[in-house]
Amino acid sequence: MPDNSHSVKQLSVQNLSVRFPTVRGTVCAVNGVSFELSQGASLGIVGESGSGKSVTARTLMNLLPRSAEVSGGVEFEGADVRRLARERVKHFWGVKMAMIFQDPMTSLNPVKKCGTQISETLRYHLKRDRKTARHEGIDLLNLVGIPEPKKRFDQYPHELSGGLRQRVVIAMALACDPSLLIADEPTTAVDVTVQKHLLDLLDRLRKERGMSLILITHDLGVARRRCDEIAVMYAGRIVERGKPEDLFEDPRHPYTDALLRSMPRLNTPIHSRLEAIGGPPPELINPTEQCSFAPRCTLAQADCLQSVPQLSGVIGMREIACFYPANTKRGRRALAKNRARGKTAAGLQMSARRHTSG
Amino acid sequence: MAGSGDGSLRSEGDMLLTVRHLSVEFPVGRKRLLYALSGVSFDVAEGETLGIVGESGCGKSTLAKSIIRLNQIKSGSIEYQGRNLATLRGDELRRVRPDLQMIFQDPISSLNPRRKIRNVIAEGLAIWGDRQGVWARNHVEELMVSVGIDPKLGDRRAHQFSGGQCQRIGIARALLLDPKVLICDEPVSALDVSVQAQVLNLLEDMKIRYGLTLLFISHDLCVVRNIADRIMVMYLGKVCEIGDAKAIFEHPKHPYTRALLAAIPEPAPTVEVAEGDISGELPSPIDPPQGCRFNTRCPRATEICFIEEPLITQLGDQDHYLACHNPVIS
Amino acid sequence: MNVVLDEAEAKKLGCIFWLAVGWLGVLVATTSFAPLLPIEDPSAIATGPARSGPSLDNWFGTDALGRDVFARTVYGARVSLVVGFVAIAFGMVVGGTLGIIAGYFKGSIDLIVNFAFFALLSFPGLVLALLITSTFDRSLRTVSLTLAVLAVAPIGRLARATTLLYGEREFVQAARVLGARHFRIITRELLPVVMIPMAALALLGMGVAIVAEGGLAFLQLSVEEISWGVIINDGRGIRDLQENPHVALMPIAAMFITILSLNFAGDRLRDYFDVRETAF
Repeated sequence: MPDNSHSVKQLSVQNLSVRFPTVRGTVCAVNGVSFELSQGASLGIVGESGSGKSVTARTLMNLLPRSAEVSGGVEFEGADVRRLARERVKHFWGVKMAMIFQDPMTSLNPVKKCGTQISETLRYHLKRDRKTARHEGIDLLNLVGIPEPKKRFDQYPHELSGGLRQRVVIAMALACDPSLLIADEPTTAVDVTVQKHLLDLLDRLRKERGMSLILITHDLGVARRRCDEIAVMYAGRIVERGKPEDLFEDPRHPYTDALLRSMPRLNTPIHSRLEAIGGPPPELINPTEQCSFAPRCTLAQADCLQSVPQLSGVIGMREIACFYPANTKRGRRALAKNRARGKTAAGLQMSARRHTSG
Repeated sequence: MAGSGDGSLRSEGDMLLTVRHLSVEFPVGRKRLLYALSGVSFDVAEGETLGIVGESGCGKSTLAKSIIRLNQIKSGSIEYQGRNLATLRGDELRRVRPDLQMIFQDPISSLNPRRKIRNVIAEGLAIWGDRQGVWARNHVEELMVSVGIDPKLGDRRAHQFSGGQCQRIGIARALLLDPKVLICDEPVSALDVSVQAQVLNLLEDMKIRYGLTLLFISHDLCVVRNIADRIMVMYLGKVCEIGDAKAIFEHPKHPYTRALLAAIPEPAPTVEVAEGDISGELPSPIDPPQGCRFNTRCPRATEICFIEEPLITQLGDQDHYLACHNPVIS
Repeated sequence: MNVVLDEAEAKKLGCIFWLAVGWLGVLVATTSFAPLLPIEDPSAIATGPARSGPSLDNWFGTDALGRDVFARTVYGARVSLVVGFVAIAFGMVVGGTLGIIAGYFKGSIDLIVNFAFFALLSFPGLVLALLITSTFDRSLRTVSLTLAVLAVAPIGRLARATTLLYGEREFVQAARVLGARHFRIITRELLPVVMIPMAALALLGMGVAIVAEGGLAFLQLSVEEISWGVIINDGRGIRDLQENPHVALMPIAAMFITILSLNFAGDRLRDYFDVRETAF
């Protein structure tokens, strides 16, 4: 987020929770997530599978299954998004807010030509006539950097490579000139060279059109260079939020810290042992009232198991949800205590080899 | 790039596995052929980890499957302990199989959904006749412990485990018959970052414990960089550059290797980010370009690249082999 | 990335399944032990007044010859169930084996087997039945085998399709890499996964076979013994249908409930065993 004080607030999510009742219990996919996004900014939501990042995006896009129980507020450009959803407003999703998915074939109909799918969007939402829609469609393909847009316009999705398909999907999402684009793992299915091109494209489009972007990814590296701000999610909660450089150079939440340490990097020596995160993945079904990372956290103390730490500001734009933030005096003391004991308050063994935030 | 020739074979030292001029082609209808691998040569010394990188469609998975003979081989040889795996058939082939095992990309799909994982892991013993006996059971349990799966969970089925646990079970199954070579085909790309580190550590531990030789295939250069002693970069069924991991990462000579390194989100400091902008799409392996196969996207391509295919040659006397007419000499 | 968006499936068979199984169990038990039970002789004439409706003596009433319809329905079930079972068992063994072999080895074996399946499917079933029963005899064995031949192709094609689906999966490759022989891969890796959809189809198929036997009886091509089809055929005269419809209706009801039970059981069983392959 560049400068919140005088930029226009576009999207505001307040205390959003999403639950799915299932036979085995209630799955708490999102637990009280709040964030804001100003016009033209880009927010990265980073997390592993089960962190709730995709569910959050789908809630914004009104794409949840009917069984989902949603609470909390979503306000977009002054409109209550959840009320719009209840009233089944047309021409909002896909017009003001658009989304692209990991697998381009989720959005593309395999038996329709790529161009038809784009022009249909234009004709449905913007009531363009056939001819104008075709022209605008070709312009859009050109805009997203598809070579020979006229030829591609009349091709079927299966005739294109994965990278081109994703560009067609981006063109479709941009058809109605949305002011917010949500990209859910847009580059997970493609190769690094293509990934770079797609991310460059999203960057360029955002800057040219003053569009805001929510980039959802599991790859911290992807989010780092492309976002003004990153929110790290774990077990349905935002555990840390801040500028990419702060997050990467000085992670405060033990999860962010552990995640960064567990990633293999180019500058570490060959065969260096990775600092894996121990313990079981988070329990999403009927979770207990505690910090959800506590069972895997090397800093966990008794109070981490008793209540959920709330997201609160540290300095400036930085927010974390932790009682014993890593790389602070408090955190170091907690770690030393656990080391001396040989295990954390949650019972995780402190192996001699692992050292977190020393 | 996209070089041919066996210049990539090392002259000294005993090699556990030597692949020469391996070609694999698949019929794709209308009498056309998909050239998945064209004249790939490399060798692996005992105890070494060879990392194989390249974009999807470069033939790295086909290579893995060809070495363990899950594919039909068009031509070439795979020498392993004095035998040519490429020509073995029937029972002879079956008897070498336990020596070369594989870890698959999709951990869940690599386990039979209807079988208990204890039986999945013990399958090797069941096949090779050591089914009964306390020794077999202890061996299976010991292995389960060493890969970090509680033996008490042996009666569960694959879907009751997470992806990371399934990958551990797959590793245990592969290790049961005491293999020499373990081929890992994208073993961590389906896993979450935090689990990825656990599995990579486990592979390193197992490698030391059981004296394994690893072929590690991945599209993730950071992962390969961590685990591999040597790196082989492939493009459209050909070898571009092969050599010591340090040399490849710190002094990449091939334009394609440089492009790969520049395209990763946190690029290597040795290459310029601009090099990641290799243009165009990957050509179809059904109709690969003449000359060097990388010529359609190469920023350094000159006339010769379109006419003549570069041969793999050694760089001085280093463990660094390259197939390029216009390498980047810094 | 994909969080549990699907509603977690209910891993319960449910009471409808158990009702269906209960009915099938009772049916099998009564027909098996019919001679030991206090049931009239199904062929005995004039066990009660002819063409009388259901009463305490004759639960399902009597037919034109005064035979007890209940006894006839019970004994008739024997033939119907045997026909259904034999036809499907044969179809599963022959069709299943051929289908799995074709799907596993592919190539020319697959071409030949698949062609045979298509040939069987395109041959009109009724004509085949007519041909066989008129050429040979109308014994239980002939009728069962006729329906068995007709069951081979649908079951075989399902087995082939499922095998093709799973045959390229990593767990099959893993077994090959371990050095398993084809026989072991087929029996240990593929059979357990192919059996589930096949068993579900078999239960549905059994219903179809029972109905088919009834159809043959209608054309007077079925067995000489009593079967549901034979009883229905007996009670289908205009006068019978107007004056004492119970003769035809009772076996029809039994058949209806049985087939419904088979379908429900098959459907629930498939859902129950529908293997979840994701970790969530």
